[in-house]
Amino acid sequence: MKKFFIVATIGLLVIGLSRCHKAELTPVSGYDDRYSGGKATVFDESSHALTHSIDGMGERDQRVHELGDQAFESKFVAPPAPVFGGLGSIFNNVSCINCHRNDGGGFPSAGSATSGLLMRISQAGQDPHGGPMAIDGYGTQLQDQSVYGFQAEVSISISYTETPFNYPDGHTVSLRSPTYTLQNPYIPFGVPYMLSPRLAPPVIGAGLLDDIPESTILGFVDEGDQNGDGISGKANLVFDPESGQTRVGRFGLKSNTSSLLVQVATAYQQDMGITSYVQPNESSHGQNQWPSSTDTGKPELADSTLNFTTFYVRTLAVPARRNVNDPEVRAGSILFNQINCSGCHRPTVMTGPDFTVPQLSGQRIHPYTDLLLHDMGDGLADDRPDFLATGKEWRTQALWGLGLLQRTTGTAFYLHDGRARTIEEAILWHGGEATKSKQAFTELSLTERNQLMKFLNSL
Amino acid sequence: MKKYFILFSFSFAVLSACHKASDTGGATTDFATLEDQVITDFTNDIVLSQYSGLLSASLTLQSSVGSLTTITNETNQAKAKTDWKNMRSIWEQTEGFLLGPVESNDYDPNTDTWPTDYTQMDSLLANNDFEFTTNNVKNLSQSLRGYHPLEYMIWGKGGSKTPADFTARQKQYMVALIDDISSNNVQQLYNDWFGAADYKSQVLNAGKGSTEFSSRKALFLNMVSAMSDICGEVAGGKMKEPYDAYDSTITESPYSSNTLIDFKNNIIGLQNVYMGLNGGKGLHDLVAAKQSALDQQIQTKISAALISFNQITERYEQAIYSQRIQVKNTMDLLDDVNDLLENDLTDFINTNIKD
Repeated sequence: MKKFFIVATIGLLVIGLSRCHKAELTPVSGYDDRYSGGKATVFDESSHALTHSIDGMGERDQRVHELGDQAFESKFVAPPAPVFGGLGSIFNNVSCINCHRNDGGGFPSAGSATSGLLMRISQAGQDPHGGPMAIDGYGTQLQDQSVYGFQAEVSISISYTETPFNYPDGHTVSLRSPTYTLQNPYIPFGVPYMLSPRLAPPVIGAGLLDDIPESTILGFVDEGDQNGDGISGKANLVFDPESGQTRVGRFGLKSNTSSLLVQVATAYQQDMGITSYVQPNESSHGQNQWPSSTDTGKPELADSTLNFTTFYVRTLAVPARRNVNDPEVRAGSILFNQINCSGCHRPTVMTGPDFTVPQLSGQRIHPYTDLLLHDMGDGLADDRPDFLATGKEWRTQALWGLGLLQRTTGTAFYLHDGRARTIEEAILWHGGEATKSKQAFTELSLTERNQLMKFLNSL
Repeated sequence: MKKYFILFSFSFAVLSACHKASDTGGATTDFATLEDQVITDFTNDIVLSQYSGLLSASLTLQSSVGSLTTITNETNQAKAKTDWKNMRSIWEQTEGFLLGPVESNDYDPNTDTWPTDYTQMDSLLANNDFEFTTNNVKNLSQSLRGYHPLEYMIWGKGGSKTPADFTARQKQYMVALIDDISSNNVQQLYNDWFGAADYKSQVLNAGKGSTEFSSRKALFLNMVSAMSDICGEVAGGKMKEPYDAYDSTITESPYSSNTLIDFKNNIIGLQNVYMGLNGGKGLHDLVAAKQSALDQQIQTKISAALISFNQITERYEQAIYSQRIQVKNTMDLLDDVNDLLENDLTDFINTNIKD
């Protein structure tokens, strides 16, 4: 009897206490899928979701991040000015935040305060470092705004042609393809030129991407498509103006920049006309409207400000995923792998050691990119090479934060030039190495396509 | 038999131990009703009231700028100064809820960009070919639009402008500036919420079909993060930068010396969202219903920070040199507020708002 009592007690204890067990949050993998950025993940799904620093930084690092935040938001004004001077004389926009809205993406318009699209330009051939060949008087980027009293290099007019896309199930989506017309060039171009539109991408998680070892990226390369999935992938090798060396590219829409510092400094110089120790020449250098009065040999941007901004971008957290346990989202996640979106949009990557910001170090992250170049087909081609990237190749865009872009940007636009107004349109534009996956997507049932969308919106 | 009784009692205790303390059905309904009430009151008593106030203040300022440019005398200049400050005080309070159209449609950077661009302003004023129409001003860089260029035009550098200093070109610029603020921004902002674009319904229908806010929790979290953002910006940016740099040229409204009032109004703005305005309910009612100690703490901290502004008796441009202890004290108190918002209040919403 006593035994029965003990056994029953234990049994009831087990049953009773097991009621305390909360609903399972982590999947069978043992990891919590919500942590897209590992320790550098933040929980916020509001319009400010992309604007947070990573948690747990020391007081000093936090302060540097804040100073970088202020610099990122600062509107620059024409020199001479007591603060934030140095704008132009020609530029694309006046602050980082004007293009990277709420640290998210930009609007695909050109030449106004809210424009987030810029146009690269070059002629046939390569510069001494293997990069695009500049055009005299224009460089490799068109600045379509100017300080009052100067002339913008050009104005860019954008128009779209709509084409219907028909799913096998009869469902129809309209896709728009852009046409760019250059107007009012300040001098003749002189030579045939190639253009490449670039929409400002979200800047979150850049520190994590920066910490992925080059060997990891190179390990993703499947040259000659040995595994036969139609996807090869190629690393870009680019000139790094800071070190003077050739390195694996990872930033920029064609992986055309190797480090965050260079990315930030070049944006200041090319997009805003602000010189720094990394990029000491005005974007208008050599042009007749280049105001030699501003050529003091002294960078317009304090070294510390450049470093603050770089640190800011480096320590921006990645938003956590939402609804990871929703059955529809889980089904979508399986479809994402089944139709091999994950062939390029790699779900899981490890960062290398980082001794300055431990939250970035050795993290298991979910960027959904391999940082490699892939042929995306004729539909998306810009036909303008950029180091090793051909005119058809683009870098796999990271997908973290994808579902929050609509809210953070105001209106979200997708792909390198913002032609896609929805995630679905973006998928349907995929070609080249992604043709098989795109095809498979179109053959899914409407229910399955919706599941996949739910998954993508949970990122 | 007694053993069985003990066994039963014990098992009941174990089984019920895990039962979370939950409100009765009635209380849960009440809390949900309270959530709805807070959302409705936020929309009507704060957003609608403040944005329509902003609109009428902009029309008043427009009229006084009109008078000043027609009859340029000290009385009219003083009137324009007062009306600028009045409008500014409402605007700064609305920064307690920078979410929705004000952010996504750029009304904030279009009207409140800083610093002003002297160099380009001088070029514009010197170039008679440039016509100061509302539309031309709309197409200018953001640093040449909005409150601060207008402030500069009315007050002049150091606030020293006299009626004799106004040039014809400056007057044209002023008229275009206030019209751009009023018709291209404040009126549009109001329409976006309460006109055809109907952002109001996005908020009111949070968690009930709103595409912007999939749940009420998402809306409340956005409100809290907007409060926290402005608190952090005042403490860590607007106040701290000139303070750290000992530099009065980088204060927010240097021509009118309105900087300190701007700061205070930002904090009043977030207090409004927390406490509710015009008799309506605010976030505080939600917190008080579940964790009155936390509510008290937040209220006390916000009040303490607001009161501490009064100890800064100099204008801010001067105080960063001569009243550093007082300035530091206010920044510290604001940091405390921000800690509570970012952590405790955010946790509260995450834990207690279920839908």
